[in-house]
Amino acid sequence: MKRFAIVGMPNTGKSTFFNRITGSSSRVGNWPGVTIDLLSARIVLGSEAVEVIDLPGIYDLHGFSEDEQIVRNFLENNPVDLIGVLLNASQLDHQLPLALQICKLGIQPVVLINMIDEADQLGIRIDAGALADDLQCPVHLLSARHGTGFNEVRETLTRSVSEARPRPLDDMRNCLHADDEIVQHSDELISRCVSAPSKLVRKVTERIDRVLLHPWLGLPLFFAVMFLVFQVVYTLGGPLQDAVAFILESFKNTALLPLESVLPPALYGFLVKGLYDGIGTVASFVPVIILFFFMMAIVEDSGYLARAAFLTDSLMARMGLDGRGFVMILMGFGCNVPALMGTRVMRSRGLRWLTMLVVPFSLCSARLQVFVFITTALFSPRQAPVVLFFMYLTSFAAAFLTAVIFGNRLRSDEPFVLELPPYRAPLLKQVLMRGWHEIHHFLRRASTFIISGVVLVWLLTHYPVGSTPGGAGTWASMLGEGLKPVLDPIGISAAMSVVLLFGFVAKEIVIGAMVAMTGLQGSALNGYLGSQMDTIQAISFMLFVLLYTPCLSTLATQLSESRSWKFTGISLTWSLSLAWAVSFAFYQGARALGY
Amino acid sequence: MSLTNLINLSSLGIGERGFITGIHAPDSMRQRLQSMGLRTGREAEVIRSPRLGPMQIRVGSVHLIMRRCDAARVTISAER
Repeated sequence: MKRFAIVGMPNTGKSTFFNRITGSSSRVGNWPGVTIDLLSARIVLGSEAVEVIDLPGIYDLHGFSEDEQIVRNFLENNPVDLIGVLLNASQLDHQLPLALQICKLGIQPVVLINMIDEADQLGIRIDAGALADDLQCPVHLLSARHGTGFNEVRETLTRSVSEARPRPLDDMRNCLHADDEIVQHSDELISRCVSAPSKLVRKVTERIDRVLLHPWLGLPLFFAVMFLVFQVVYTLGGPLQDAVAFILESFKNTALLPLESVLPPALYGFLVKGLYDGIGTVASFVPVIILFFFMMAIVEDSGYLARAAFLTDSLMARMGLDGRGFVMILMGFGCNVPALMGTRVMRSRGLRWLTMLVVPFSLCSARLQVFVFITTALFSPRQAPVVLFFMYLTSFAAAFLTAVIFGNRLRSDEPFVLELPPYRAPLLKQVLMRGWHEIHHFLRRASTFIISGVVLVWLLTHYPVGSTPGGAGTWASMLGEGLKPVLDPIGISAAMSVVLLFGFVAKEIVIGAMVAMTGLQGSALNGYLGSQMDTIQAISFMLFVLLYTPCLSTLATQLSESRSWKFTGISLTWSLSLAWAVSFAFYQGARALGY
Repeated sequence: MSLTNLINLSSLGIGERGFITGIHAPDSMRQRLQSMGLRTGREAEVIRSPRLGPMQIRVGSVHLIMRRCDAARVTISAER
């Protein structure tokens, strides 16, 4: 099998090209020497089977950023037969040096000058033949978006790949000294082969930016856009989640419940209440993740995400975050899991990890359910909204505090420089592919962890044999008793501590767990809650639930995205400590004041 | 070139231009800024410069957003 790698700067339509050349057969996968997932696909060119790999967007083959390191590591550890350099036709002055760096590698290059339609509109003329003569490799003008020039590209790739042989690479850093020459060479080539109007004006983009980046209108419009995105993801996602839950529940009732009389109780419990419910937990995230990335793909591909960063940077810079982090934190108020996955747009690790530490404090819709239930049960209709508002304030405060405390440790010395691309209409296919890839990624990376966690909690709350499920005598309640010295000072009873354990799996099942444990429902459950805790204990309990840990799936996503047990451990320890400290301060303070 | 016409990018107003004369930053940061188009000899123009928030800079065909503190590392001169 031959190997064809695609490189290029961000915003050159690399993914569009990749999707066009590969159809829709792509998959994410691991590669030797590389710490992130890369998209690849197998295609046939002529008589050769070819593996196409989409490498992360880079500005400089010799640069110091993580993505640049990843591309170098990939090329050093995975011999490549053919390398395609994608360039943006209207930015050749800026992008040609990257192509020259790659041409010097010794791997057979093909230079692909993309977005030729945009360049045409701007009045840019490119002499591909002269470029090809100088670079001594095929040079093509194309539009991956519209398919212009694609037949020729495919022919060239077919011919080149059959002739190409992989070459081992030396340490690429050694070529650093050649960069000044490369830039000179590039400038000379540009003046010879490219003719552009003396002043390039992005008319449409500038007209839109005059409104969207307006000094006063910009931020309100940003919040309006975010509100819209949020509504689409979560108001559409909610019913879809219910539908998934309904299907799973129906299957359980018709196909699995009859097994109860056939299978030994332990096996039945493990299969249905452990494994099957674990799968159900994973499945419940599928609709929101897909919708979230549909919307994110639109926001990102249109060019608006960079504008969002521009608008909110002054606010976020003080917290050591950037504007894109702000978008993810806002989205976290719906569900933390896709928001954590969305931090992948941030390419610096420090920045990304800091954002991943902050996102779990966003009060997600699952936690909101619990709070609405408890406040309705224990507070008057006039008090309840105030208590809820207080929870949102605490959520913001915890996020801010976390950013301030960890900001220094995770600060990256990378300058905050982002390209502001022209506005482009997102392609439907790109948007769909994004949702598909992200859900694939989530299922592959996080599902095992989540299912094991659900099974573990099932074990704790149902064993040893002879104990009442979720009640006295189970390992969970023993754990609750053992935690008494820790949870007493914050006003949480042993029975409620078992609820916390369920809440760790997913906040959605907290209420269900209370129902299962007590056998009570509706107003009887409200009465039981009232007997378990007074209003001060209830607020302390809610503060703890808000902060202690979002849920097993969030934790699994933190682990799968950071690929670091240490990071995930620190995040969990920090949120547990913060939750306890805040609840302690509130509970003891309120009691001391005589409430 | 006299010292008086050496200023940095962050001090330019909207619509003002200048030629980049150097980047005063550690190696890795300089390499990054250069690879994003901020190279010596190139002309840079300030497109937006809100009181709060980063600046929008155009270098050749590329539009960048960068914080004022980073822009202050880029020295500019009126002549090439």
